[in-house]
Amino acid sequence: MTVDPNAATQSFPPSGPAHRAPGPARYLVPALVAAAVAVGLGVYGKVHDPTGTAFNLAGFSSTGAVKSWLASTAFFFALVQLVSAFMVYGKLPGPRWAAALHRWSGRIAFLVAVPVAVHCLYALGYQTYGTRVMWHSALGCFFFGAFSAKMLLLRSQRLPGWLLPLVGGLVFTVLTLIWLTSALWFFRTFGVTT
Amino acid sequence: MKRPGPLLTLLAGLLLGLFMLSLDATTGTRSASSPYKEKSPGVTASPTPSKATASPSPSPSRKAAAGVYTGRTDDDSSAVAVSLRGGRAIAYFCDGHNIESWLKGTVKDDGSLHLTGDHGAQLNGTLKGGRQIRGTAEVGGGHYAFTLDRARKPSGIYRANSQVAGARIVGGWIVLPGGRQVGIVTRDGKPSAAPVIDPGTGAVTVDGQHLTAHPVTP
Repeated sequence: MTVDPNAATQSFPPSGPAHRAPGPARYLVPALVAAAVAVGLGVYGKVHDPTGTAFNLAGFSSTGAVKSWLASTAFFFALVQLVSAFMVYGKLPGPRWAAALHRWSGRIAFLVAVPVAVHCLYALGYQTYGTRVMWHSALGCFFFGAFSAKMLLLRSQRLPGWLLPLVGGLVFTVLTLIWLTSALWFFRTFGVTT
Repeated sequence: MKRPGPLLTLLAGLLLGLFMLSLDATTGTRSASSPYKEKSPGVTASPTPSKATASPSPSPSRKAAAGVYTGRTDDDSSAVAVSLRGGRAIAYFCDGHNIESWLKGTVKDDGSLHLTGDHGAQLNGTLKGGRQIRGTAEVGGGHYAFTLDRARKPSGIYRANSQVAGARIVGGWIVLPGGRQVGIVTRDGKPSAAPVIDPGTGAVTVDGQHLTAHPVTP
């Protein structure tokens, strides 16, 4: 059996007419969902009356401390995300389970960040009374939109090679900025307390 | 074959978010007093008042009376804020320089308030339609009339207690709608104008020390 070295590689079955990718919808749907999520969160935070208080975990002095530690946990897993992404793309030497590590560290980071965001939006709302606060509010809403887009893009096949790293990098950058404007600020202001 | 993993991740996040939100909505009020370890005058962090709020209030007028009301005295010299919950009231009167008073009392079913503080301070008022409190205060030998409007967070009364360089620090703030603040910091009983707090977090720096001012509720 001879192999034609010039034949197109077939990593997936050739697309018949029924299986053709739905064109711009691949990008449009994630983009629209991302916009809807980000704007929706922002509007909720702006419109509803922030309660100032919310469910608190036992063993912590304040919800601020709980959130700062949860956010720091999310940030730690985001760093794992960055490293494991380089491994998946072969830019760093990594174990075979780098892809699984990337998936699961991402899930943990996301799930840990959700309660923080819920508290932010429920108890504090979308605020603009300071530079730090304004950026944190805007980026916080943007993050969940960007993350939704990333998740939805993962489901599409045959994306341009640069797209996922770009969106992933964006998600990581935004999370970093959110962490800098909240948890780091909290620890610098109140000390590293629980 | 499309991968279901990312969708499941999003779904899990959504469900977790909704779960946390329902947890907040059902227990948020009850745990409201728990993060605040410091005791304000008349604010006992006992679970008793929270039970009163968690169960439906017997009288509708009292239920409507929960919340915070802020405003200024008619002579514009001082700020006044009253926080109501479960038929109890806490008020802070502050001119931003040297006159201040913490008062506590009750709300009657007819919407009248009677609060008293240290050094014979008194505050009487009437709730009007759950949106406004009109009343008078006697603080530091002065007599003041005031009208307070129902305010939304982060407007309200904030208080901080601490020990800085051996001195006992007590700070009180009224954050007015629009973000204006009136506050006094007392160092070992000596009052002076207070630095500005961050109403979102209660963060404030007093004499180089980072403190947290907590919202005051009865």
